[in-house]
Amino acid sequence: MRNPFIPRLLRVERVVIETADNNIKSFHLSFLMKEDEEAFSYLPGQFAELSVFGKGEAPFGMASSPTEPGLRFSVNKAGVVTTALHRLEEGEMVGVRGPLGRPYPIAELKGKNLVVVAGGFAFTTLRSLVKYILDTARDDFGRIDILYGVRNPGLFLYKEELEQWSKRDDLHLVLTIDREVEGWEGKVGLVPNVLKEIAPNPDNTYALVCGPPIMLKFTLPVLRELGFPPERTILSLEKRMKCGVGMCGRCNIGPKFVCRDGPVFTLAELAQLPDEGL
Amino acid sequence: MADLIAEMRQAARRLLEEKKVDLIIGFEKGTLPLRSSPCFIRHPEDVDRLTWDSSCENNLAKYLPGRKEKIGIIAKGCDSRAIVGLIQEKQLEREQVVILGVPCQGMLDRWKMEQLLEGREVLEAEERGEELYLKGCDFERTLPRAELLHRSCQVCRHRNPVLYDLLLGERVAESPVPDEYAEIREFERKSPEERWAYFTKEISRCIRCYGCRNACPFCYCRECFVDAEPLWVGKTIDLTDTQLFHLVRAFHLAGRCVDCGACERACPMGVDLRKLNKKLEKDVEELFGYKAGLSLEELPPLATFRPEDPQEFIR
Amino acid sequence: MKEQMKYLKLSKEEMANLLDELRREFRVVAPVRREGLILFEEIGSGKEAQLDFGNSRKSPKDFFFPQMEVLFSYQLSDNELKIEEPQPEPRKTVIFGMRPCDARALLLLDKIFLEGEVQDSNYRRRREENIILALGCTHPRRTCFCTSVGGNPFGTEGIDALFIDLGKTYVVEVLTQKGEELLRDRLSEADEESLKSAERVKREAESSMGPQVKAKELADLNLLDIFEDSFWDQVHEKCLGCGICTYLCPTCSCFDVIDEKTDSGGERIRLWDSCLYPLFTLQASGVNPRPTGRERMRQRVLHKFKYFADEFGQPSCVGCGRCVVSCPVNLDIRRVVNELVGGKA
Repeated sequence: MRNPFIPRLLRVERVVIETADNNIKSFHLSFLMKEDEEAFSYLPGQFAELSVFGKGEAPFGMASSPTEPGLRFSVNKAGVVTTALHRLEEGEMVGVRGPLGRPYPIAELKGKNLVVVAGGFAFTTLRSLVKYILDTARDDFGRIDILYGVRNPGLFLYKEELEQWSKRDDLHLVLTIDREVEGWEGKVGLVPNVLKEIAPNPDNTYALVCGPPIMLKFTLPVLRELGFPPERTILSLEKRMKCGVGMCGRCNIGPKFVCRDGPVFTLAELAQLPDEGL
Repeated sequence: MADLIAEMRQAARRLLEEKKVDLIIGFEKGTLPLRSSPCFIRHPEDVDRLTWDSSCENNLAKYLPGRKEKIGIIAKGCDSRAIVGLIQEKQLEREQVVILGVPCQGMLDRWKMEQLLEGREVLEAEERGEELYLKGCDFERTLPRAELLHRSCQVCRHRNPVLYDLLLGERVAESPVPDEYAEIREFERKSPEERWAYFTKEISRCIRCYGCRNACPFCYCRECFVDAEPLWVGKTIDLTDTQLFHLVRAFHLAGRCVDCGACERACPMGVDLRKLNKKLEKDVEELFGYKAGLSLEELPPLATFRPEDPQEFIR
Repeated sequence: MKEQMKYLKLSKEEMANLLDELRREFRVVAPVRREGLILFEEIGSGKEAQLDFGNSRKSPKDFFFPQMEVLFSYQLSDNELKIEEPQPEPRKTVIFGMRPCDARALLLLDKIFLEGEVQDSNYRRRREENIILALGCTHPRRTCFCTSVGGNPFGTEGIDALFIDLGKTYVVEVLTQKGEELLRDRLSEADEESLKSAERVKREAESSMGPQVKAKELADLNLLDIFEDSFWDQVHEKCLGCGICTYLCPTCSCFDVIDEKTDSGGERIRLWDSCLYPLFTLQASGVNPRPTGRERMRQRVLHKFKYFADEFGQPSCVGCGRCVVSCPVNLDIRRVVNELVGGKA
């Protein structure tokens, strides 16, 4: 029986600075051993525990789509492990344990329209989902609207890709920033307000939302008012995690462990759980 | 004792009714024989929960830092010294507390009692003056109270509160113990190897539960050095890390510890914690002529600097 | 595989010899008196084993879920990283003197470490290597409440052979194949008289149990109903937030994972942690879903008696009473449970 705490080894292939403030970097990683790569079969919405040996482990949502080679994670520099990750250079080694958690319910989303609402650097796993859909079976899904808001233009992740996506006619991409900035010709406004403006039709549509607590606090009521029922509003949650496999007792919300029963939850599922902060 | 309790309840009731305090922190009857438990009373009708006996061992000053309310607090001698210390260290304003001082004849050591009874369970207990009556399912014993007091109480020099707004009951005679450091002097006579071996043997039982730290009124740091980043001391029960934790904590408390014994009483593994703290207490007294928690005006030597501070020992 | 129920007999005087005999083949762990405490330790001779005691200060969960465990070590050389898993020597161990509550607790730990989607391979190995000879509780303590949480002073769950103290002799109830293989050639069969005495001892023990704890009633309460109850505002106030109750508890299993560096590499270590510590759920962003003692006490009580009970049909508590005895402020979980239920009755 394989020890679930032993990471597999990855090499840092490329480091991309995503944001103008240097706080978010994307790490493109490749497996050292082919059998490890084959064993790591994941779906968008899942996460992995990345190890910086000597510093520790931390959970990160998969930013890459399983249709892409290797793994990509976008890391916000906030604590011990993320700071250590930010210091890594190409060629260095990290460890990975995963894939962990429940993915987005892709089968359930087929044949539906999708409204993807993201704030800040929470865009990562949603990017994975959209890319996966575009790469595998775009025709199996209905209309796809993406609303992605950040404080200022420098903070958008995956800028080149967003540029390409804005040119596609099978996606409706709306980018917004909090306050007017010279040179920005896109939308200006907080995500909840812009969402109200866009007023997507809830019929046969799923809303997939990811963002900081403050954004969720004001965005979820807008979705409710627009008529999105809790069963069709999907969130991805964040908690402090250690084992990632439902053993260490840390990441629970009531009886559910975010690492094992999430991080993807519908609002209907969350309504059954006590309010321990999103 | 009954009079004292009545006086305590009356004083608490008056303080709450007259809104002189928002909260009374005292002791209520515990759920086991010879146990009391800290209680928090906010309504005058609840003051009858307050009690007082030889099991009121906790240092209630622990609950003071970080509170904004006006608090009436039951304080033994050692507790009152801790309150003085907390006011010196600006964790508390003097005006915030109404100190209900209670002269103390020492508190029982429940771990010592357990050992004397060889682990047998006490089902009934009664304090009878200078004796303690204990009854279990297959025994009945009457033991002298003095033998069952916690070690810190046996050498306590401040049974009467040093700072108070109201004194409940009668002042008591201070302990006749001639030398509170006798145990330490005896230990000092051992060789370094013997002392280190003893320290190692004791600390090897430590399970890093932090009961000692969390029971101590002076361990109020929001982030303790064992939890901080960068990690100064390892978190595991590796012996070296654990020894270092206790050594550093003892030094953090030097000049502040009032030997209330809360740390040792909390420890579930019977680790002899007081040796370290008492030794440092002795050193501070000998080097700086200072005893913790006795005067609001005098400040702890390790937190202040005066040009005339003794320094012959600095080499 | 049907388990053979066999009843064997041993005089108390022979106990030390039995343990010494077992020591020739196995590591033997038993309750010993160490500096006035009863603790489970490997014994150097059968005489060290205590036969007359309440329960150990710390639970014996250490032998299955150690307080500190190296998960793996890594070596760094020339930008090459090698991970090495510790390969411990297999060590069949006989643990004598475990109380039925602590043995039952292992079945609850199994739910966390063995019965999830992922299994802890080290924990599994230790479960397989250890043989449990339990000692039934002839005189349950007032602080014991095993019968309130699905246990019994002579419960047989998780036990390979149960020793029943009749005063001068033990009747030994052999419960598993492991237990039978260990004892069948070392002990003689029990007689009718002893069996009758054993039944009497069991009945008396069960009827002597102290005050009941309303664990089942708590599990039956509606979660969202009780979660925001004002009950939680006061119940935590005296709690010091130390880890004593969680560390002594035979069913608590929360842990932390840290990396420690050595000269050329390092180790990843798992160690016990407590949901009562303020940093337990603190996120790097500074957000803490359980910022005060109120939320943390609520988590402890509800996890043990509600969340775990809902998922597994029994609370994460075996009623050993260690937390009741050792809490420095006598914050009695029995009272907490009963008051919570009482307020909602």
